[in-house]
Amino acid sequence: MIEIKDVSKDFAGKKRAIDSLNLTIPDGKIVGFLGPNGAGKSTTIKMMTGILPIDDGSITLNGHDIEKQPLQAKKIFGYVPDQPDMFLRLRGIEYLNFIGDIFDIPVDIRKEQIETLTETFNIHDALGDYIQTYSHGMRQKIIVTGVLLHDPDIWILDEPLTGLDPKSAYMLKEMMREHANKGNTVFFSSHGLEVVEQLCDEVAIIHNGKLLFYGTLDEMRKTYQSDQSLEHVFLELTNDE
Amino acid sequence: MSKTWIVMKNMLKIHYSRAGNNNSQIILLSIAGIFLFPFLFFYLGLINNAVSGLYELLEPFGQSSVIIGLLFLLLTALLFIISFVLVISSFYFAEDINSFIPLPIQPYQILLGKATVPLLYLYVTTFAIYFPVLFYFGSNSNASIVYYLLGIILFVFLPFIPFVLAAIFVMFIMRFVNIAKNKDRSKVLGGIFVLLMIILLNVVVRLNANPDEMMENFAQFIQEKDGLLQMITAAYPPALIGSKALTVAGWESLLYFLLMISISIGFIFLFIIVGQKLYLGGVLGINVGNKKNISSERLHKKLRKHPVWLSYLQKELRIIFRTPTFFMQCVVQSLFGPIFLVIILMMDSNFNSLSGTLDQFSYKQQILILFAATLFILSANATGISSISREGKSWHTNLFLPLDLKQVFLSKIAAGWTINLVSILLIAIGLIVVLDISWLLFSLWLALSFVASWFTSLMGTYLDFSHPKLHWTDEQEVFKARLIGFLALLFEFVPLGIIVVIIWNTPFVQGGIVTFVLLLLLMFIATALVHYLLQKKISNKDYQKII
Ligand SMILES: Nc1ncnc2c1ncn2[C@@H]1O[C@H](COP(=O)(O)OP(=O)(O)OP(=O)(O)O)[C@@H](O)[C@H]1O
Ligand SMILES: [Mg+2]
Repeated sequence: MIEIKDVSKDFAGKKRAIDSLNLTIPDGKIVGFLGPNGAGKSTTIKMMTGILPIDDGSITLNGHDIEKQPLQAKKIFGYVPDQPDMFLRLRGIEYLNFIGDIFDIPVDIRKEQIETLTETFNIHDALGDYIQTYSHGMRQKIIVTGVLLHDPDIWILDEPLTGLDPKSAYMLKEMMREHANKGNTVFFSSHGLEVVEQLCDEVAIIHNGKLLFYGTLDEMRKTYQSDQSLEHVFLELTNDE
Repeated sequence: MSKTWIVMKNMLKIHYSRAGNNNSQIILLSIAGIFLFPFLFFYLGLINNAVSGLYELLEPFGQSSVIIGLLFLLLTALLFIISFVLVISSFYFAEDINSFIPLPIQPYQILLGKATVPLLYLYVTTFAIYFPVLFYFGSNSNASIVYYLLGIILFVFLPFIPFVLAAIFVMFIMRFVNIAKNKDRSKVLGGIFVLLMIILLNVVVRLNANPDEMMENFAQFIQEKDGLLQMITAAYPPALIGSKALTVAGWESLLYFLLMISISIGFIFLFIIVGQKLYLGGVLGINVGNKKNISSERLHKKLRKHPVWLSYLQKELRIIFRTPTFFMQCVVQSLFGPIFLVIILMMDSNFNSLSGTLDQFSYKQQILILFAATLFILSANATGISSISREGKSWHTNLFLPLDLKQVFLSKIAAGWTINLVSILLIAIGLIVVLDISWLLFSLWLALSFVASWFTSLMGTYLDFSHPKLHWTDEQEVFKARLIGFLALLFEFVPLGIIVVIIWNTPFVQGGIVTFVLLLLLMFIATALVHYLLQKKISNKDYQKII
């Protein structure tokens, strides 16, 4: 469970990036995080993961405050950033071993997990190459593999499906479903409304740093008295005029 | 032409762009300025003395023109050597070229754009050396306004010839090594090769300088006016032409002046023509290569369990050794200094043994000398001062992974310490083989070096943490156009250097062991102090604020 309480964030010389955001993401659900470009999705996620300082308010992950108990909190989530360009000068296998060391995963579990996961994502043959030679989608897959390797309770994914081929996207969606069904938390941002409609139990819509809506898709249709598509509601909600 | 201008402007912008932190940069610049200001007067005074002294000595023989000749020669030699390093880094290590390739511009325009940054450095160097000599010579010889005018215009053309010579040389070599598939490796090889060439050049010049023969010629050349000038510039005619433009009278000087300018412009065209042929073919298609299929068994062998600090240290070292720019800056260039020094020392002693050179000093002084020299070499290492900045846009990985930030910093400092081992090993070889010092002195020196190495890596990391450059698009930016190298010397070497001078002159500190203990104690105190400061920044969560 992720609890975001009264969180605000300012960037120097700009209008509020996040404005007293309140959001509780329950266990056992897939929650989609929607909003136009620059709405504050990545900023929120970066505060959840301890990358950016929180100006006001607090965020807890399964009861661990990300600012007060960063190490405990960071051990229980896996994060896939929107830019997968990291550790480029390491080979895929070295990156995964590095993650294994950080999360203290026994070697035999590493072997087994890496074998199955990379076969699933079809990047097994590239494990010996530098990540720099990977395509965008392959870089994303190696990071997702790293996350799955340490099997965290909470998944936080920033636009995880952008750049994945249909089969890999399908696999990842299946995995997200499975993970939530086991009673864990999955939180991801996306611009793909169909994906959200098809996959998410609940959606959160953010615009100009403010939460506009949080709830299930049915509730959304009820609230806005619309039997139209999510696309329609989304465009209406985030319309500035 | 206007497009060329745009390309050049953008190259400069990329090179000098800084995101945020302007105030602290200004403060740092001011600190640097305050420290450098007294040096400026000292420097100008030194040049004034040298020029007037030489002038009084040479003028009676009608040989004063040799001063300008020497200026041209030495300046050209210096610019030539600097150009090597600058051309390599700008032409082959900076990868900003990829953003220019798709634009509708000619290869030569990209080439000229690439030349902008190195030329800028050359002009700064030229400015600092050429103008003081020019003006002091002018005032000593009561030169006319024409002298100053021509002198100032010549300034613009001075860097061209050495730059073009160096650039063509480097492009030839790079073309040659670039046949290999692995561009990363060939870039590093080319870089090392060129550095070796600089050393070799130095050796050749020194071997050819035969003092006896020179004295003989000297007597002969001094008979005629400007004879000395002709003698020293025999190997490099542009220096003769440039000097004549400034020292002969009337129309003749204008003739030499025009000749000098035409030659310089000719060299620019040469650069464009040769560059168009050699350059783009050599840099295009930068790929890292090294694709190989590894069998499952071999993959599994790579899966091993390490403690986090070791795993992190490994990661740091891998990145440094596999990134050509990092490897050149952090490893190769830090070796260049010691090697260069040892070779010059050996040449000067005509390969006679230097063993016992240190014996003329007391034990205390020997330790102080070795300590200061080692500290200086370690302070010049770029690993510490790039600890944080090397991460660039991946710095956030240190924050979302469950890493103890204190451990991250310790591992980074350890990476700097490990790389310093190479320098220390090199110095150790020099001490044992060349200087032949005693084992006791050697052990004391080694102990001090290990502590000093930790201190410089720590201080470098702390400085980099205070003013990191994370928003780079090209690895070069981590090292260039930043004050940090200078600050590192200022904070790592200067305070302890001053202390060394004080101890040297303090009569009641006697004997090697006492000096050693004193230095060790000082290093421990300094290290503890910086660790404390670093810890304060970590507790303050500054690592989140630098993003
Ligand atoms: N490092 C930063 N410095 C200053 N402003 C920033 C920074 N990062 C984000 N912002 C600003 O914060 C706001 C929210 O940005 P954020 O990246 O969270 O948007 P987003 O919802 O993820 O958009 P996208 O869909 O394009 O990924 C934007 O107005 C952006 O300009
Ligand atoms: Mg985003």
